[in-house]
Amino acid sequence: MINIQIQKQLDGPEGPMLLDLNLQVPMGQLITLYGPSGAGKTTTLKILSGLMQAETGKIMVADSTWLDTSEKICLKPQDREIGYVFQDYALFPNMSVRQNLKFAQPKDKDSGIVQELIQIMELENIQDRKPDTLSGGQQQRVALARALVQQPKILLLDEPLSALDLKIRLKLQDYLLQVHRKYGLTTFLISHDIGEIHRLSDWVVVLEEGSVVRQGSPSEIFINQNLSGKFKFKGEVLHIEKNEVVYIVTVLVHNEVVKIIAQESEVKNLGIGDAVIVASKAFNPIIYKVS
Amino acid sequence: MNSLQGTIVDIEVSGQLSLVTVEVHPKTFIKAIVVETPESADYLKKGQAINTLFKETEVVIGVGESFHISLQNRITGTIKSMDKGALLGKVVLETQMGEITSIISSSAIDQLKLRNNSPATALIKLNEVMLAKL
Amino acid sequence: MSWEPLILTFKLALVTTLALLTVSIPLSYWLAYSKARIKPIVQTLVSMPLVLPPTVLGFYFLIAFSPNTIFGGWLNEALGIQLVFSFPGLVVASLLYSLPFMVHPIQSGFSGVSNSLREASYLMGKSKLQTLFKVLLPNIKPSLLTGIVLSFAHTVGEFGVVLMIGGNIPGKTKVASIAIYDEVEALNYASANFYSLTLFVITFGILLTVYLINGGHLKKFWK
Repeated sequence: MINIQIQKQLDGPEGPMLLDLNLQVPMGQLITLYGPSGAGKTTTLKILSGLMQAETGKIMVADSTWLDTSEKICLKPQDREIGYVFQDYALFPNMSVRQNLKFAQPKDKDSGIVQELIQIMELENIQDRKPDTLSGGQQQRVALARALVQQPKILLLDEPLSALDLKIRLKLQDYLLQVHRKYGLTTFLISHDIGEIHRLSDWVVVLEEGSVVRQGSPSEIFINQNLSGKFKFKGEVLHIEKNEVVYIVTVLVHNEVVKIIAQESEVKNLGIGDAVIVASKAFNPIIYKVS
Repeated sequence: MNSLQGTIVDIEVSGQLSLVTVEVHPKTFIKAIVVETPESADYLKKGQAINTLFKETEVVIGVGESFHISLQNRITGTIKSMDKGALLGKVVLETQMGEITSIISSSAIDQLKLRNNSPATALIKLNEVMLAKL
Repeated sequence: MSWEPLILTFKLALVTTLALLTVSIPLSYWLAYSKARIKPIVQTLVSMPLVLPPTVLGFYFLIAFSPNTIFGGWLNEALGIQLVFSFPGLVVASLLYSLPFMVHPIQSGFSGVSNSLREASYLMGKSKLQTLFKVLLPNIKPSLLTGIVLSFAHTVGEFGVVLMIGGNIPGKTKVASIAIYDEVEALNYASANFYSLTLFVITFGILLTVYLINGGHLKKFWK
């Protein structure tokens, strides 16, 4: 178990706020922190990694105490065995891809891991290049590989995929799942992408204004449990047009555009750009194989 | 979306499916079939207040006394208003539970000779009814 | 006319720059990352030579280093060092006088390095010292080069402080800038021109090299 109880006064987007968390998560899971910006997600990861200090609190990872302000215990970041993928990737510009990975390798650990990760993450062709000559997706792969070279217990990912386009994002999500399972990691992910969260995470913690407002499995958090529609997607309204006695609402669901017939009373409160749920009974859709 | 409130009075379960009977008015029932069971959805229990939802385009309009058809969800009322387009028309029925709107073809409106204030029945297939917890 | 003042000038500039580099890296690191309350005071002191006339500094150095004062006397008696009118004295004075020219570029270099680079290095188990030498310094090379060149050039161009504390002793403290002043006073324009032109050409060469390197114009010749 990882047991996190921390308090820290923060300057939120709307004035001072208190980050006050009490979380228990089992080892080996992929946990997503979800919530608006300024809710304290990155701060939570920084405190967990020891890069920021909580004013009061306690962090227990398995049997070891990482933080206990009442006992004045605070393990240094160097000793926490954490792999961290920063939002800006934080690759060392003065080192090649391979040197970046080598730098992260602990002296007392197996040196085969660098080669192994270069293979898993498909970095062979770019291993001698400097980070600033790489594309965003390549940098992201290097950053993830580098975080894993340390063979950490805990992997922290701060919106690592948000800057990438959909195709590369899907590929990297596969890499992420693959390594998360292969190395038996406990992974904390910050993400705003609900599709990504569904694909990757076992558990979702929703943060607002520094507190946990909800937690649960991705489907518990993101699917409205109170409606019996089985064919249900989140989308964004692109267009609303009146056609005879009905309205045709065009909605973007993931990267597909769909059209839905609606009544005046339903479109009355809808605007372009609104987030909506498109739902139907499981009886209506037709399914057929495309390949 | 048409919406009628009621309470669950019966649930028949078979495998992953449940046939739910909702009393929306004394002696008036709406049946819905859902891919849920009382184990998987906590709102499936007798006495639960619930909303039945069905799309206007799924509401069939019938006139006259008896129909030999399979639709069991039948709600009678009087036609309150109509709005006819070239292809589609909107028929609003006033019932004891409130308004029910139906979208049918304009030619069907002509064929049935629908008039304001004339009686009519709304019929809904049970697999088109969604349930929403109140 | 002799090469002596020119050689002395560049010797002084070289020694001063090397000493400054050693002092400025830890000082700039502290200024860039510390949250100590006395930081603004230290920052101000470092910048003072930018605004004070060199003669003010020279005057106080002269007083402080004089064997007649407590500090100067102690230096003289206990350590056998005489700083007034000597080459070591020039080095110490130049060190303080050129400090901001070394500290400011390095400090802004450190501040410009993304925090996440340092944090990533710490999380890899690297100490602060390892992070400084393996991550921070290699990534602020342009700032280091700018600091080195600016303080070198500034020491070459020094006049007031040198005149106050070094005097005009040939071979010991008579640097090029003093020699030029001397020659002009003696109406020896040919000699003054010799020193001036040499200084001009050499410093122009140094600065040009730096701008070429920092601007990446020389990269194509390295590969």
